[in-house]
Amino acid sequence: MRGALPWLLLCVLATSACGTSTRVDEFRPSSTLLPLNDNEKVVVVGRRHSGAYETDPDFINCIGTRLANQGQLSVMPEQQFLDSFYPWFEPRMAPLGLKRMGGMLEDPLIGKRVRELGIRYMIWVDGNIETTEKSGAISCAVAPGGGGCFGFSSWDKAANYEAIIWDLGKLGEKGRVQVDSKGSSYLLAVGAPIPFIARVQGEACEGIGTRLQSFFAPAGPGSP
Amino acid sequence: MTKPQVSINAYCRTLQLLSHLRLLPIVAVITLLIGCSTNVTVNGDYPSALVAKQPLSVVLVLDDSFSSYRFTSEKDNRQPVTMALGESQVQLFNRVFTDLFQNSATLQTLPTGQNTLDLIIVPEITEVQLATPMETQLNVYEVWLKYNLKVYDGNGQPVTDWMMSAYGKTQSRFLKSDEEALNQATVMALRDAGARLLTGFQQIPEIRQWLANRQAPAKLSQRTER
Repeated sequence: MRGALPWLLLCVLATSACGTSTRVDEFRPSSTLLPLNDNEKVVVVGRRHSGAYETDPDFINCIGTRLANQGQLSVMPEQQFLDSFYPWFEPRMAPLGLKRMGGMLEDPLIGKRVRELGIRYMIWVDGNIETTEKSGAISCAVAPGGGGCFGFSSWDKAANYEAIIWDLGKLGEKGRVQVDSKGSSYLLAVGAPIPFIARVQGEACEGIGTRLQSFFAPAGPGSP
Repeated sequence: MTKPQVSINAYCRTLQLLSHLRLLPIVAVITLLIGCSTNVTVNGDYPSALVAKQPLSVVLVLDDSFSSYRFTSEKDNRQPVTMALGESQVQLFNRVFTDLFQNSATLQTLPTGQNTLDLIIVPEITEVQLATPMETQLNVYEVWLKYNLKVYDGNGQPVTDWMMSAYGKTQSRFLKSDEEALNQATVMALRDAGARLLTGFQQIPEIRQWLANRQAPAKLSQRTER
């Protein structure tokens, strides 16, 4: 019984300690689902105009994959979109508002490319993940007979992202989704270090992707 | 077959000599320091630009100092960084000028004698600045590039010197190596330089003036013909 106690403690720590809390808020100007033809696409693009942080491309890809929902929505990969419209969506040039986007769509080359590629909705994602608190210490030592680590360390991470849906067909904002995700991770070292990592970014991606998915009417034979 | 044996023996003899001289720890430290330096040959793909071509014949002069440019940073408080930038910036400038002008050619030296060129452009990299992970506290590099574009007309008369700066930052926070992170930041800075060239070239006041002067006689001759 005594021998099982540390393992029991470890299991309790593993299952309860590194939990993540996620809150998702949304704004819909209308309850109507956003229509998408078979030949129309959605593109998810990260905002990178701020000098203080960058919206991680891996996070954008994660949202795109979740939004595609196993092929139910046609989602264009971010890099393909950026390369197709180079240099107009580079951090220096990307439109921050609908007015500027409208102006860009009036450019014959840009407007034609949007139509050719069938891009109907553009989802801007802005935000980042950061470590808010860090505590504890771990020390490791190596000797001729072997080595090991001892100590305890913990850190909190917070992810805060906002997604804005733009309709490029009718030039308007069609909704916003905001996600806040927080979680604590731990590293316990008794000989070997054992990490308990909170899936903060994963939870944020799941939250925002699933909610964005609910804005769109599923494509199918009967879709407009 | 004997050569490797000879070299291994030589290596072992050198190590024996170094250990006799108690220099082995120093060698180990030097090896570790070399291992800690970051060496990158910048490698990126630059997409074709979505811009209207200007009806101009342009020559881009990329000399050896530009096409084999190497940046080395050796600040005391950080690990040395070496970045071979030349090949990648040649690739970018060639792509941008092909997309921006109707006729574009690349030379290694300034053209001489009579020609039918409209503009001759000689870019020069004047400054590279780097913020390393030690400074940003993340596996994130920041790169600033500063170019001076010397623009001459077809007769070799100077039109303008355009100082142009560009910025790039590692976007993915979870890249495995320093080299990958630095390469990504530099490619982003080069893409930014391309964006500036594509959208800013015609906005340079001297270039606008030159274009206006160039169009004026054409308009005048059209009126005279009528």
